[in-house]
Amino acid sequence: MVKRSSLYHKGTAMETRQQNEGQGLIYLNNAATSWPKPPEVIAEVTKSLHNPYFEQGRTTAMGAIDYPAAARETLAGFFHAEKPDHIIFTQNATDSLNLLIHGFTRNTTAPFHTITTELEHNSVLRPLHALEMDGALTLTTVPFINNQVRLAAIKEAIRADTRLVVMTHGSNVLGSMQDIKPVAEYLRANDIFFIVDGSQTAGHMPIDLTGIPVDAFVFTGHKALFGIPGIGGFYLTDPTAVAITKQGGTGSDSSSLCHPLEMPTRFESGTHNYPGLASLYAGVRFIEGVGLAAIERKGRELTTSFIQALKKTDLITIYNESPDLPIVSFSINGMDNYEVGFILARAYNIIMRTGFHCAPLVHRRIDEGKGCIRASFSWFTTMEECRVATDAIREVAESAHH
Amino acid sequence: MLSGRWQRVRIIKSIQTKVCVDGSLMKEYVLDEPLTEGFIQFLGQSGKVRYLDSLKKPYFSFEKEQFISVKGFVGDESVEVRYKKEFQDLIGDYFHLLLYYYQLGPSGRERLNGIDECLKEKMKIRLDTHGSECT
Repeated sequence: MVKRSSLYHKGTAMETRQQNEGQGLIYLNNAATSWPKPPEVIAEVTKSLHNPYFEQGRTTAMGAIDYPAAARETLAGFFHAEKPDHIIFTQNATDSLNLLIHGFTRNTTAPFHTITTELEHNSVLRPLHALEMDGALTLTTVPFINNQVRLAAIKEAIRADTRLVVMTHGSNVLGSMQDIKPVAEYLRANDIFFIVDGSQTAGHMPIDLTGIPVDAFVFTGHKALFGIPGIGGFYLTDPTAVAITKQGGTGSDSSSLCHPLEMPTRFESGTHNYPGLASLYAGVRFIEGVGLAAIERKGRELTTSFIQALKKTDLITIYNESPDLPIVSFSINGMDNYEVGFILARAYNIIMRTGFHCAPLVHRRIDEGKGCIRASFSWFTTMEECRVATDAIREVAESAHH
Repeated sequence: MLSGRWQRVRIIKSIQTKVCVDGSLMKEYVLDEPLTEGFIQFLGQSGKVRYLDSLKKPYFSFEKEQFISVKGFVGDESVEVRYKKEFQDLIGDYFHLLLYYYQLGPSGRERLNGIDECLKEKMKIRLDTHGSECT
C-alpha cells in the first residue's frame, strides 16, 4: 500500500516537463511571453543578482552596472529615441498604458473625446472603458478593414473635442502591423495626443521614434525584447502632457515632499526591477547582435511555412493568411479552441494560446466572439518545430472529423 | 471501441483551480491510478463522451449538462474537470462521486442514477423558485 503523503508528490506530465526545463517542449506562445530567453539574458540577470545593486542616488556601491541607466541608453539607441531620459520603466505595457491614459486624462480640465480601435488589447480598452464609465471621456472605437485600421477611419471619427488617440502598432491576434506614421503625422498636425502600443512590434520590427511623431510609445520587455516578465516601459515626448499619478522615493531631491518633475524620475518611483532591467538591457543587445533584419526574415519564413502547412486541410480556418508579425491565429472547424489547446499541450507537448487573447473586440469581428488558437514564434523557434506543430494540428483536426 | 473493467481510482490532489470565462470552476486533479477506457465507458452512460483514439494519446471529453465536463487522456493520471456555474454548490463533489460509484460496478451506476435524479430535482426547484437569478 502506498502512503498518501508520498502519493501527494506525484506530479502531472506538465510538472515533469517543467522539471526537465522544457525538454522536448515546442513553445509557440511568444506573443504572450517569449521563451526560451537568450543565454546572454540569463547570464546578465544572474550577474545582476550576484552583484550589489548600483544606481545613482540609491547606494554608495561602486563599480557595478547601473542597470536603469544602461537599459535606458540601450533602448533609446534601439528605438532611435532622441532623449534617453524620456524612456520610463514600468512593470509592463499594461502598467505603461494605465499610467499614460490616466495621466493624460487627469491633466485635462474637462471631459474629452478619445479614439481607439477594434484591434486593441484590454490593456488599452479597459482603462478607456473605466474612464468612460466615470464620465471623464467619451470613446469612439474605429473598426479595422482587412486587418488594418485606416487613417481615413480615424479622420472620420475625429470631433472638435478629440484630444487622444490610442492605437496598437501590431495586432496580437491578427499579426497585422499598423501604418502609424501617417496617423501620427495627422494627429500631430491637429494637436491630438497619440499613444502607440508597441507591445507586439518592439523586437520584431525596426522602430524609429525620430521618424514617427508619436507622443508616447509603449513597449514591454517580456515578449520580443527577450526580457523577463515584470519589466516594460514607454517613451514620452512631452512629459508635461501627462499628469504624475504615482509619487514616492526616487533617490533624488529627497529632502522635498514634492515629487521631482525631472525625467525620468517624474514617472519612476520606488526601487527599480533590477533583474528585469538587466534582462531588457541584455535582450536588446542580443537583438542588435543578431540583427532585426534577420529576426524579421526568420519570422516571415516561419509564419509562411506554418500557414502553408495548415492550408493543406480545409478543416482549419486561418484568420489572417498574410500577417506582418510572427503570429498565426486559427481554429479547427467544429472544435472548441480550448479543447484543441488542451490536446496539443497534453498529448503533443506543444504550447500555444487559446481564447480571446485579451482582445475581445477583434474576436467579435473575426470569430463571432468565440476566440481562437494563436501560434506565435520567436527567433528561437525552428522550422522543424513548426512542421511538428502543424502535423499535430492537422492530426487533431482530422481525428475530430473522422 | 471502449473496453475496460471497474477499478478503484482516487484523487490525490487538486493542482490547479480557476474560474473560466463562462463562470464555470475548473479544477485539475491528480489521480492515484491512470484513467482507463472502463471509466470513460462508465461516463458515457450518463452524458456525452467524445473519444478520439487516433491521436498521440487517446483523448476523451465528457459533458453532462448542468453538472460537469471532464477532459483527459486514457492512461494519464491527471484530469481536468469543470463544474458548471449555475449549481456549483450542488455538484461541487460530483467528480468524486463519479470515481466512487464507478468502482462499485453496475450497482454503482444505479445508485449514481438515483443521486442524479435527486440533484436534477433540486436544480429544477431552484430554477422554478429563482428563475433567471440562477442563470
